[in-house]
Amino acid sequence: MKKVEAIIQPFKLEDVKEALKGVGIDGMTVTEVRGHGRQKGHKEVYRGQEYEVDLLPKVKVEMVIPSARLEEVVRAVIVAARTGKIGDGKIFVYDVAEAIRIRNEDRGEAAL
Amino acid sequence: MLLSKLNFGPISEVIQKEFAATGDAARVLQHRTALVDDMVLSAFQKSLWLTAPSGLALLAVGGYGRRELFPHSDVDLLILTAGAFDAHHSKEALSLFLRELWDSGLRISHSVRTVPECCELHVHNVELSISLLDHRFLGGDPRVHEMLASKLPAFLRSRRHDLVRQVCRIARERHAKYRNTIFHMEPDVKEAPGGLRDYHLVRWLDRLQSANSGAPEWSIGAPERHPELDGAWRCLSRLRCFLHYQAGRDANWLTFEMQDEFVQQAFSSHADSAGCMREYFRSARAVHRAALRAMESAEGRGGSLLVLFQDWRSRLSNAEFTVSGGRVYLRTPGMLNADPEMALRLFQFTARHGIPLSADAERRLIQALPAFQEYFSTSRPLWRAVSELLSLPHTPLALDAMCETGVLAAIFPEWRRIECLVVRDFYHRFTVDEHTLQAVRHLWDLGGAAPPPRQRFAELFAEVEQPAILALALLFHDIGKGGGDGRHVQAALPLADAALERIQAPSPVRDAVRDLIASHLVLSTAMSSRDLDDPATAVALAERVGTVEQLKKLTLLTYADISAIAPGAMTPWRLEQLWRTYLCVYRELTRELDAERIETGRLPSESLPAFVEGFPKRYLRTHNEEQMRRHAELEARSRALGAAVDIRRENGVFIAEIVAQDRPGLFAAIAGALAGFGARILKAEAFSNSRREVLDTFVFSDPSHNLELNPPEMERLRLILAKVILGRMDIRELLRGRPKPTLPSRHARVRPTVSFDADASVTSTLIEVVAEDRPGLLYDLASQISQAGCNIEVVLIDTQAHKALDVFYVTRDGRKLDGAAMADLNQKLLAVC
Repeated sequence: MKKVEAIIQPFKLEDVKEALKGVGIDGMTVTEVRGHGRQKGHKEVYRGQEYEVDLLPKVKVEMVIPSARLEEVVRAVIVAARTGKIGDGKIFVYDVAEAIRIRNEDRGEAAL
Repeated sequence: MLLSKLNFGPISEVIQKEFAATGDAARVLQHRTALVDDMVLSAFQKSLWLTAPSGLALLAVGGYGRRELFPHSDVDLLILTAGAFDAHHSKEALSLFLRELWDSGLRISHSVRTVPECCELHVHNVELSISLLDHRFLGGDPRVHEMLASKLPAFLRSRRHDLVRQVCRIARERHAKYRNTIFHMEPDVKEAPGGLRDYHLVRWLDRLQSANSGAPEWSIGAPERHPELDGAWRCLSRLRCFLHYQAGRDANWLTFEMQDEFVQQAFSSHADSAGCMREYFRSARAVHRAALRAMESAEGRGGSLLVLFQDWRSRLSNAEFTVSGGRVYLRTPGMLNADPEMALRLFQFTARHGIPLSADAERRLIQALPAFQEYFSTSRPLWRAVSELLSLPHTPLALDAMCETGVLAAIFPEWRRIECLVVRDFYHRFTVDEHTLQAVRHLWDLGGAAPPPRQRFAELFAEVEQPAILALALLFHDIGKGGGDGRHVQAALPLADAALERIQAPSPVRDAVRDLIASHLVLSTAMSSRDLDDPATAVALAERVGTVEQLKKLTLLTYADISAIAPGAMTPWRLEQLWRTYLCVYRELTRELDAERIETGRLPSESLPAFVEGFPKRYLRTHNEEQMRRHAELEARSRALGAAVDIRRENGVFIAEIVAQDRPGLFAAIAGALAGFGARILKAEAFSNSRREVLDTFVFSDPSHNLELNPPEMERLRLILAKVILGRMDIRELLRGRPKPTLPSRHARVRPTVSFDADASVTSTLIEVVAEDRPGLLYDLASQISQAGCNIEVVLIDTQAHKALDVFYVTRDGRKLDGAAMADLNQKLLAVC
């Protein structure tokens, strides 16, 4: 199993959710996060005063999927989240040792 | 007959079945207490009593002491000893005693104390002293209990103030945990404000007061001093019993699921869970109010600083209202029926001074509600009074009191649709009315010392014109939720319209409130679902919002609406996104000031005069038809005389509208003429059309009341302006001899900033100046721009308190300013700020 963690633009969340639904992924965790990658932050000027905006609002989407479906899922996220501009986000993939459904103690991919 | 643990279970089942049939919680508590008394005594006699037949007494304390043992409540026991507990001798017996009770299924909470320990104040364990207020002798050595009974009143008398302070502190901390409101959609019927804990708080404070007066010990059972709370107690106790039985444990959280279960019970008279919750909120409101009154009354009896402060506030009394003990009273309450608008003046008093109503004033208002309902049901000119009430420093306090007393619903019957209304969704924590009032509170909190992340919104709040518009939009933004068809925004509009028409709010106010309600989800939707870096997003939002002023209001409304969803709902993430959304729209609205112009020969409406051709499109959004017609008439007059000036008074300020042929330095000259006349310019805007005609509007105050006290001066000012515009009067002459303004201290002054933006417009350079306002500042700024050879194309001037926010779009020789010109002008502008 793999855990896919996608940091995306907030306005792309609905598109990404739809795309994941389209490839049969219904379970996910969504968190509002702030941060920056290589784009760093930037300075905003409002009425002559400069504001440092170093942590930009993003959304983190996390899901654990069967390893065999990794490429398909990653592709779906990329296509849905891409605008082609700086700040589109990143996808991280991790190995998952085990998954357990608390209700009935299903394990492995059956618990996903 | 003492019961054994063998028949404890069956008897408990009988009690539960009786409750399921009748819903009578009092019977449950009575029978359970008697049952547990037998169990405890039986265990006691088989254990502790055998090893210590003297020098030790067994007391029931807390809820058990007052015979209010809910199905799964802890059984609080105090083992009272005459001297130090003989652990060596009695430890085994104590273990046996507790084990027997635990094995019977009771949740025992016990402590062992000596009489002197019980008569000490334990700062970190005030709960011990509080639990003793409800103590009851169960068994053992009666002489030990008598020792306590003889010493406890003296202890309570001597430490009453400390105990009251601690009890109130604990209660306030508990209330704060629940955001000081009873209106939780899924409340804790024990701990939340207005819950059973508050009911007991009232009785504890009564008890402490009795100790002070030497009154005999109160009878434990039904409250003798607060019969008005009997119904509330029955409702809350029934709910708690039900929750305990349903969960099989000490669960007091009335979840949505439990609400649905409750209305299915045989004893429930409610058709749906909404009815059940309305009864709960009515009960909780009565208990909460009694608890607040009891705390205030008990704390007010000391000689504290608070009392001194409250005495000082009595100086605020006037002909209609008296302030006493930090509360406001009506001097002639009998007049309320004859003069219902006195109620509005009373709430204005509260909103102005932050003084809550006295219990007596509340009672009088409630008694007069029928008269209010009749009076306010017909259309009356109440706008000014309502507007003032909604623009004062303590408006949320007044609104809370209006809601509590029912006066808000008497003035705006639409409010009843959302009173105590639970609309279940994943996000909202409070009922719709409480959400609305909390939103107003969140907004007004920005008026204080807002922490840095919220400082930007606090500045916006300080800048908005007519905060009453914002408050009204908030009051009505969710009023459509009472309809239940899921289209609450559309449903709210006619309700708000009707209410505003009834109080005869002016048409621009009605339009502004309507726009805010209709758009109240626009920014929150955009911040999570639109690409804020996409210019199309900014254009679409700017088109929807219309003006910077409306954008500020909508941003604040969104801020308040999100903040009031639940504690912590306004996360730093949302705060940042909302601000980014504001900036995105603000830039677009200021950019298009100059760039988007009404094209010649392509007027959007046939009724528009050709005069507006070439004006920024903003003109169409910020002026109504009547204003446009007036401007066209002014323009017609100007053709004959070269200039036309109109001055009038509106809403406490003066407005000068001028149409003239443009020339270099014209705007500066007009600003100078007004400054020379002693006027304080609050706002200004200047538009020029394709025929090089300008329409300048100045909103100004008259600090010296010259125009107000000498009506002919208005005509003199008009003539002076006309002469200045036509170049027949030297502005420097006019300004000579004006007294120098008194500026605030250096530390209190606004730090001046001048910023240039060459990209804000296709044809002009934007100059934004923020500075300490002073008479003549606009003249100095505009003069510097003109003297630098620049032409002012568009101007937008605003003043917030003592801060001037001036935006100029300028060109030189028909082009944008180059780098050298900007640097030169920057120095010159800063020099006059």
